[in-house]
Amino acid sequence: MGLSSRKAIHIPFPQAVPCSYILNMDDCLGNNPIACGKCAEVCEKKAINYDDRDEVITRDVGAVIVAIGLDVYDPTEMDEYGYSRFNNVITSMEFERLICAGGPTAGHFVRPSDSERPKRIGFIQCVGSRNPKIGRPYCSNICCMNTIKDTLLHEDHYPDVENVVFYQDIRAFGKSFEDMFQRSKQAGTRYIRGLPGDIEEDPETGNLTATVENTTSGKIERHELDMLVLSVGVIPPMDLLKISGMLTLSKTADGFFMESHPKLKPVDAPTRGVYFAGFCESPKDIKESVCQAGAAASKSSALLNAKQIQIEAITSRIDEQACAKCGLCAGICPYGAISWKKGEAAVVIEAACAGCGSCGATCRFGAITMRHFTDNQLMAQVQGVLAEKPEDKVFVFACNWCSYAGGDMAGISRIQYPASNRVVRTMCSARVSEEMVLEAFRCGAPVVLVSGCHYADCHYINANRQTVARVQRLWNTLEKAGVRPERLQLEWISAAEGQKFAKVMSQMEELRKTVTMDEMAHAREALKPKPKKTAKKEAAAAGAAT
Amino acid sequence: MIAQQTTEEIRVGVFVCDCGLNIAGAVDCGAVTEYAETLPDVVCAVRNKYTCADPGQNEIKDAIKQHHLNRVVVASCTPRQHEPTFRQCVREAGLNPYLMEMANLREHCSWVHPGDWEGATAKAKDLVVSAVARARLLQPQEELTVPVTERVLVIGGGVAGIEAAIEVADAGHKVVLVEKEASIGGIMAQLDKTYPTMDCSI
Amino acid sequence: MAATRETFRCMMCGHEYEETVDKGEDKERSCPKCRSNSIRHLKKKKAAT
Repeated sequence: MGLSSRKAIHIPFPQAVPCSYILNMDDCLGNNPIACGKCAEVCEKKAINYDDRDEVITRDVGAVIVAIGLDVYDPTEMDEYGYSRFNNVITSMEFERLICAGGPTAGHFVRPSDSERPKRIGFIQCVGSRNPKIGRPYCSNICCMNTIKDTLLHEDHYPDVENVVFYQDIRAFGKSFEDMFQRSKQAGTRYIRGLPGDIEEDPETGNLTATVENTTSGKIERHELDMLVLSVGVIPPMDLLKISGMLTLSKTADGFFMESHPKLKPVDAPTRGVYFAGFCESPKDIKESVCQAGAAASKSSALLNAKQIQIEAITSRIDEQACAKCGLCAGICPYGAISWKKGEAAVVIEAACAGCGSCGATCRFGAITMRHFTDNQLMAQVQGVLAEKPEDKVFVFACNWCSYAGGDMAGISRIQYPASNRVVRTMCSARVSEEMVLEAFRCGAPVVLVSGCHYADCHYINANRQTVARVQRLWNTLEKAGVRPERLQLEWISAAEGQKFAKVMSQMEELRKTVTMDEMAHAREALKPKPKKTAKKEAAAAGAAT
Repeated sequence: MIAQQTTEEIRVGVFVCDCGLNIAGAVDCGAVTEYAETLPDVVCAVRNKYTCADPGQNEIKDAIKQHHLNRVVVASCTPRQHEPTFRQCVREAGLNPYLMEMANLREHCSWVHPGDWEGATAKAKDLVVSAVARARLLQPQEELTVPVTERVLVIGGGVAGIEAAIEVADAGHKVVLVEKEASIGGIMAQLDKTYPTMDCSI
Repeated sequence: MAATRETFRCMMCGHEYEETVDKGEDKERSCPKCRSNSIRHLKKKKAAT
């Protein structure tokens, strides 16, 4: 924290595990033994090895618990609080060091500018939290209680202090939290609703003045303080993207890891065998971290105890003979479950395949079979449904997890919509190939809807981005063929959005009514499949390109 | 390896569920059953009161034996609810569970079109057409069994990682705990006291 | 990060609008007018036109 200096050889902190000295090679002169090398000389056990280097250790594992924690928000960018300009503005993490008996001041709480004990301390809440302006709209969950704890700690050490807390809302929602909040108030801490807009420093005394609109009274107040503590929020850890790439995980809008289901599977990652513990999944305190860690441990133990796992037989299979060795499927698989080397046929790692079908819809050579959701099966459904009176029907592709489930939700909620829609279910919207959509138009469908999960909800990490790309291409194809591209629609409907499902079906019905019999007849003709020759040429071109 | 195409004759059985009045109240289940009988490869169509209840399931099992069915279509509710039930049902009758297909006449039809008897019935027929078309092409599938390596990797040695590692080890499994810093403890170790009990962090 | 102005068209209501798009951005799109997700990314028009 920069409050005191540290030698090149040190123990990280007295209770460190392992409790051994480490040599910081950035500070050590031993890289050049002519310059130093004293420590090696005096160490009787010969424990110092300047040439020790990082090494890669490989271990097979059956489950992974991701507990990579958090990073603390750096308030430098919020210049109005003057963290980088004023000595006596510190963060809540620095407060911990200052008040800690094992810290640089041996627990004597002094302020940085003159090492005097500050009496009037202000705490500013939500620094880096609940602030959309800096891209941190979420609540960090722990800072309110941490500040309440700090005020009590401070009052406990020095009964004569005056603590002021500037806040938007105090969120004291956990067991015995409210009691702590009341104790802090009884101990004399003042709570003022409103965040300071500006901090000024008196260059002579180092004292600070916070200007704040007290939103309870509506008045502008000025508070002179000896020291200011910024109650900093927490942010997703820097390593999150790296780990996310290794384990094919996704993140939610706030940047933390996305769980399999927010209520029913809050510990499971979308990737099988991966579980979350602690902060990296969402901001939480120690108790909740311990709870989730226990759950993650229990889940991985259950997996290990089972000794083996059954994989639903919906996975992808590649016909080596038909494979054009283009590698396209390997590139788009969200799970990295397809291995491919230049000049070789692609191979599915079945245990890693989740069965989304992105690869099946991408392969132009018919080399990929999605077991249980084959091209033939889905095409037969399209043709079957549209065999009679297609002009009356709204044709819908819906993904199993979200949009089909959204339709179920509409049903459970008895939300009514026109009976013209015909839904075909696929595991993921990315399973829907361009051919399937075109086939629906060829069979006379007036309108087609492709629907899937919202971006953040995709059950196959990000497979539905393939859906977007495919629909974009289809709009171009339709337009080129003189078919009104608006006849193809795309919607994201979550499992909870029964209302939206019904609304979209009504809109689709309205759209259907605008499509004339002539338009439908034109589409049937204009979208007829290309002669085989072109397909072969394409294959040759793709082969040559790789 | 691609699933082998079976050469045997396809024999589909369709089971239309009333679900009490849940489906039968808005859809002409009798008409749907009769219509199902006319579809290609359908050798029997049966209307049940509650297909998911034991008597309904027994009707499926009996029909599989009696009519030598090798494909089953259950026209009832969402597969998201009862697919496992009916897969198990046909498995018990000796059929590969992947040879069963469902048509969602309840959540996607009767419950959302209660005032449109004709529209809902026409839609229900199409849902059965779709399911039968698919069922005819279904292939038996074997689920892959993958062994699980008995070791857990815990990434991160903060309070969550430490706790998870201890719990897994207590359960008798090997654990590898990975921490990027020189000591475990993480952010919590940087705190002095912790709420709500005001005890030391370490 | 490289950002460009791009044109989008809602395929449900026909609304056309421009938006700044960061390179490599991964964002769910919906029409600012009707909330539909049928958002067509129109080809960038060259400066010459």
